[in-house]
Amino acid sequence: MLVLFETSVGYAIFKVLNEKKLQEVDSLWKEFETPEKANKIVKLKHFEKFQDTAEALAAFTALMEGKINKQLKKVLKKIVKEAHEPLAVADAKLGGVIKEKLNLSCIHSPVVNELMRGIRSQMDGLIPGVEPREMAAMCLGLAHSLSRYRLKFSADKVDTMIVQAISLLDDLDKELNNYIMRCREWYGWHFPELGKIISDNLTYCKCLQKVGDRKNYASAQLSELLPEEVEAEVKAAAEISMGTEVSEEDICNILHLCTQVIEISEYRTQLYEYLQNRMMAIAPNVTVMVGELVGARLIAHAGSLLNLAKHAASTVQILGAEKALFRALKSRRDTPKYGLIYHASLVGQTSPKHKGKISRMLAAKTVLAIRYDAFGEDSSSAMGVENRAKLEARLRTLEDRGIRKISGTGKALAKAEKYEHKSEVKTYDPSGDSTLPTCSKKRKIEEVDKEDEVIEKKAKKAKIKVKVEEEEEEEVIEEEETSVKKKKKKDKKKHIKEEPLSEEEPCTSTAVPSPEKKKKKKKKKDNED
Amino acid sequence: MKPGFSPRGGGFGGRGGFGDRGGRGGGRGGFGGGHRHEGVFICRGKEDALVTKNLVPGESVYGEKRVSIAEGDDKIEYRAWNPFRSKLAAAILGGIDQIHIKPGAKVLYLGAASGTTVSHVSDIVGPDGLVYAVEFSHRSGRDLINLAKKRTNIIPVIEDARHPHKYRMLIAMVDVIFADVAQPDQTRIVALNAHTFLRNGGHFVISIKANCIDSTASAEAVFASEVKKMQQENMKPQEQLTLEPYERDHAVVVGVYRPPPKVKN
Repeated sequence: MLVLFETSVGYAIFKVLNEKKLQEVDSLWKEFETPEKANKIVKLKHFEKFQDTAEALAAFTALMEGKINKQLKKVLKKIVKEAHEPLAVADAKLGGVIKEKLNLSCIHSPVVNELMRGIRSQMDGLIPGVEPREMAAMCLGLAHSLSRYRLKFSADKVDTMIVQAISLLDDLDKELNNYIMRCREWYGWHFPELGKIISDNLTYCKCLQKVGDRKNYASAQLSELLPEEVEAEVKAAAEISMGTEVSEEDICNILHLCTQVIEISEYRTQLYEYLQNRMMAIAPNVTVMVGELVGARLIAHAGSLLNLAKHAASTVQILGAEKALFRALKSRRDTPKYGLIYHASLVGQTSPKHKGKISRMLAAKTVLAIRYDAFGEDSSSAMGVENRAKLEARLRTLEDRGIRKISGTGKALAKAEKYEHKSEVKTYDPSGDSTLPTCSKKRKIEEVDKEDEVIEKKAKKAKIKVKVEEEEEEEVIEEEETSVKKKKKKDKKKHIKEEPLSEEEPCTSTAVPSPEKKKKKKKKKDNED
Repeated sequence: MKPGFSPRGGGFGGRGGFGDRGGRGGGRGGFGGGHRHEGVFICRGKEDALVTKNLVPGESVYGEKRVSIAEGDDKIEYRAWNPFRSKLAAAILGGIDQIHIKPGAKVLYLGAASGTTVSHVSDIVGPDGLVYAVEFSHRSGRDLINLAKKRTNIIPVIEDARHPHKYRMLIAMVDVIFADVAQPDQTRIVALNAHTFLRNGGHFVISIKANCIDSTASAEAVFASEVKKMQQENMKPQEQLTLEPYERDHAVVVGVYRPPPKVKN
């Protein structure tokens, strides 16, 4: 009987030497206690080694799907068919497939399981020529490959590329800026006017690279780089330049720098294209909603697409403005309205008044797109396109004047409520307590002052008159009336006069009527007396 | 008395005293006390904590606290083991006699999930041992694979543990099977894996959740029925321990598989 034993390094086919021992299933384990004993009961007939992990992966994925791959077929045909012996396999389904395809009889039974156990326990000793370290390394590599195969790991859906690419883009920009500044400064020593004439950095460097020393400008052909007038200007400036002469070597070095700058610029454009491609592949909906750069920055800020998907919409709205956010939270002021999302095209094209609103709406739809990209199975951008269309429609209605309400009946005109600053402290205003028409509640300060004066005067007069006669009230009132004529606002005065006559109701307003009240009380007392 | 490590902020201070606290104490040297189980340590301080030596110093797997102790010239980093998240830690703190997972052992871990306990088992077995982590879920599998990238003694297997023949080419014979699968037929799963991969005289540690097996029966009845099922499969249970106060209606059963026949004198 032959035994097919699969390992991570290859297929092994053993021949059972002593078939009688197989009858005693329970004591079979004794035969495999030591390598020597094991070698007496089974012998390695053939060992088909895998060349590398890829081959092993192919072999075992076929096995998992219940198919026999070419290598196994070859081995089985060669060895087993010639031997005309039944083949013991560990998997009954595999046995069935082998019987079907190659017409070999296969066995799968508890005896076979015990046999497999024994072989596995003495694997190292039974398969010579395979070092245990090699076996372990192969095993680990194969396990990782198989797991990745199981998880349908696709190499172009790795968001680490995006994170690294956007960081590199930022680094390149910084470096490029430094180099260009250096180049301008350096060459400006020799030909300063060129810097003022040509403002675009790349054109400057290309021009420099082409010409080099000032003397060559007259004969140089700059028509592809510069328009006619500029070229003429440059040539003219080269004649009368005030820069110093520099040697060949110096020009050589400057040219080196120039070449570097041009190379880096070209690489930067290449990298940007790469980033666009990756973003479209990894997160198509996000790209449609906010654009590649902003999307990439969001992913890089959160660390990975999965991490970004876990954030709430309000977080995504202010991602990138953490410093301002926590500063405002600590000092109880208004928090920022946008973070990285400010640079999205939708937010950029609105008027400043509506940027906050749009940023909120955009963030809400963007998190849906992010989650769709992170967890969804298919990679179409239909959902992103739809959402963007919705947002653009809303944006248009927001911008128009006389806009209708977004929700509700749709016929009412949209009314923006006055925004109340949330950290405004509101104190209790007691003037709203009583609904009775007492003294007027809203009195201006000048009125109050004047009234105070008048009341004081009257009080003095009243005091004098109290002693004299009865009916002081009326006199006082009369006097008040006379003096009031000078006043502008008679109505109020009358109102006040009437009130002390009618009731003793306590006035809810401020201290102004109190001198009158006191006056009144005194009189009443006098009256009572 | 061994001079203890220098106190650091975070409450991990104190002299090394091998206090006899319910079975812990004695054993290997270590700061504050090596545990009776090899590879497991206790960190004494304001609160005592169960720790394992970090195989990958400087990295935290699931956000757990790490402690650096100076031992002679170099610093050794230990990671705190949370008994509320890990059944194995709960069993150790509950006073289990033997976990059989020791440095250099080969462990088959069924139900690895995202790898929080697997990382601690990997710390215990060290670079010479191996942990075969089997997990069927794809989401947890992703985290497990990322963990296995950093620790080379973890071999991730994203397969259903009910069919051990599907991953037979990846696993050699192991010394210990640790099962935390929470399935109603978990004894059968462990038995199948034991028949295929566990050596004679090897041990198994199974965590049983009573609610999972049968939510209507009482916990003790469930544990007893599981033990009976194990005995029928040539697995001999040796000890059983409930995981109070860390888990409710959970138990851990430790046993031996195909013990070598006793030589009668």
